Amino acid sequence: MEHVINAENLTLAYGRDEPIITEANMEVNPNEFVFITGKSGSGKSTILKSMYGELAPQKGNLNVCGVSIKNISTPKLNLLRRYLGIVFQDYRLINDWTVEKNVMLPLLIGGFSKGVCVKQAQKLLKHVKLLHKADKYPLELSGGEQQRVAMARALAHNPVMILADEPTGNLDEYSSEVIWDLLKNAKEHLGTTVVVVTHHIPSTLGIDYKHFFLESGVVYEVS
Amino acid sequence: MKSLKNHFSVILPLFVLLFSLQFTFLTNKIVDNYSKKLTQDYSIVVVAPKSISQAVVKSRVSGIKSIEEISSKKILDRLKGNISSKNISLLKIALPKFYSMKLESFPSAKEIERIKNKLLASDLVIKVETFSKTHNKIYMMFQALKNTAFVFSIFILIISVLLMFKQMRIWLLEHRDRMSIMTLFGAQFWMKSAVLYRLVVVDSFISTGLVAVVYLTFPKLEIIETFSRSMSITMPEFDILKDTSVLLGASLVFSLFIVSIVIRKMNRE
Repeated sequence: MEHVINAENLTLAYGRDEPIITEANMEVNPNEFVFITGKSGSGKSTILKSMYGELAPQKGNLNVCGVSIKNISTPKLNLLRRYLGIVFQDYRLINDWTVEKNVMLPLLIGGFSKGVCVKQAQKLLKHVKLLHKADKYPLELSGGEQQRVAMARALAHNPVMILADEPTGNLDEYSSEVIWDLLKNAKEHLGTTVVVVTHHIPSTLGIDYKHFFLESGVVYEVS
Repeated sequence: MKSLKNHFSVILPLFVLLFSLQFTFLTNKIVDNYSKKLTQDYSIVVVAPKSISQAVVKSRVSGIKSIEEISSKKILDRLKGNISSKNISLLKIALPKFYSMKLESFPSAKEIERIKNKLLASDLVIKVETFSKTHNKIYMMFQALKNTAFVFSIFILIISVLLMFKQMRIWLLEHRDRMSIMTLFGAQFWMKSAVLYRLVVVDSFISTGLVAVVYLTFPKLEIIETFSRSMSITMPEFDILKDTSVLLGASLVFSLFIVSIVIRKMNRE
C-alpha cells in the first residue's frame, strides 16, 4: 500500500537558519487519523507546512500523495493542493466573500459549475449548522463559527487528506466538538486521511489514531 | 465608496494617458491637413532652356506631382510698347521656358535641396527657385508643434505609469490575503488575479468612453470653432469606431501590462 505521506530523513529549516526538524521519518497510510503533538515551537506547524508545500525540505525526502515536495513545480503543487483540505488555527477565510462563497472556494478552483458549488456548499453548511449564515461575511461570525466554515471549506471537495493546524486551539467546547466530529466523520465515512497538529488529543474521540510527538526537532512515533 | 475610489484611482491616469494620446493624434492630423493645404499652394519655379515634358522630369526626379508652364505672354505684352514687333519675336525665341512645379507632399529643407540638386544635375533646367526661406520657417513650425505634442505625451505617459503602479500596489496589498488563501487551495495564477484583471478591463472601457465623449464634444464648442476658423484649421472629426478602438486597445494593453508586472513581482516576493 502506498503511503499518503512518506518522510525520509526529512530536515526542515527557514532559509539558512538552524533546522527546526532534523532527520524525521514518518509514514502515514490512507484513511489514517494522525496526531502530531509537541510543545510550542517544537515544529508541529512547520512539519504541516511542508506537507502542503509551503516549505520545501532542506534535506531528505517528503512525498505527499505520491508527489515529491522537493523541487516541486508550481503547476504540480497547485494540482496537489487541490487534493488536500487545509484548516488553519486562524481560519484564513476570505473576508470580503460570503460564508457560502468561502466554502465554495476549492470547488471553484476545481472548475465545478456554480450550481454544483452552491449545492455542495449548502450541504456542508447544513452539516456544520451554519446554513442560516450562508449570506453573512466571516467577520460577522464568532471564532467558533468561522472555524466551522473553514472546516466546511476543507471538506467541500472531498479531499484525499485533511491537514489541520490546531483546529480547535481557540474554540469553545461546542465548536471543538463539532470540529472533531467532522474530522472523525471524514475519516470514517469518506475515507479521508486526517493529519491534525494539536497540543491536546481529545480523550472522547473514540477512534484509532497514529501519534507523532515532536521534541527538540526530533519526531517520535508514540505507540 | 472604497470601490469607487479604487476605480477612480485607475480611471484618472488612464483618462489622462488616453487624452494625451488622442491629443497627439489630433495634432498630427491637424498638422498633416494644414501641410496638405500648404502643399497645394507651394511650388518650385524652374527655368529651362527649352521645353520639358512632365513625364521626363518625373522619371528623373521623384517627389514631383505636376509641372505647369508659366506663360511668358504677359511679360512680352508689357514690352510691346517699347520694343518693335520684330525684336519681340526674337525675344520670344530667345526667352527661356518658365515652369511651376507642384510637389507630392510638403517637403523638408533637406528634401527641397535634394530636388533642387537633382533638377540642376539633370541638364533639363538652368535655374531653380525654391523659396526655401519662407518654406523652412513653416516647416520648422510644424515640426516644433509635432515634437511638442510628442514630448507632452511622453511626459504624461510617465506620470500615468507611476500613478498606475502606485494604485496597483495598493490593490495588491488589499487582495494579498485573498490571493494567498487561494494559493493554498491550489488556484492558478489567472484565477487568483482575475479580480484585478477584471477591474482594469472595466476601468479601461470607462476611461476610453470618457475620452471619446470629450473629443466628440470638444470640437463642437463655440470657442474651439471660432479659434479653428480664425487659424484656418480644419478640426478633424473623432471617428467613433476607429479612434475608440485605438484608444481602447492602447488602454487595455497598457493597463493589463502594468497589472501583470505588479502581480508577477508580488508573486516573486
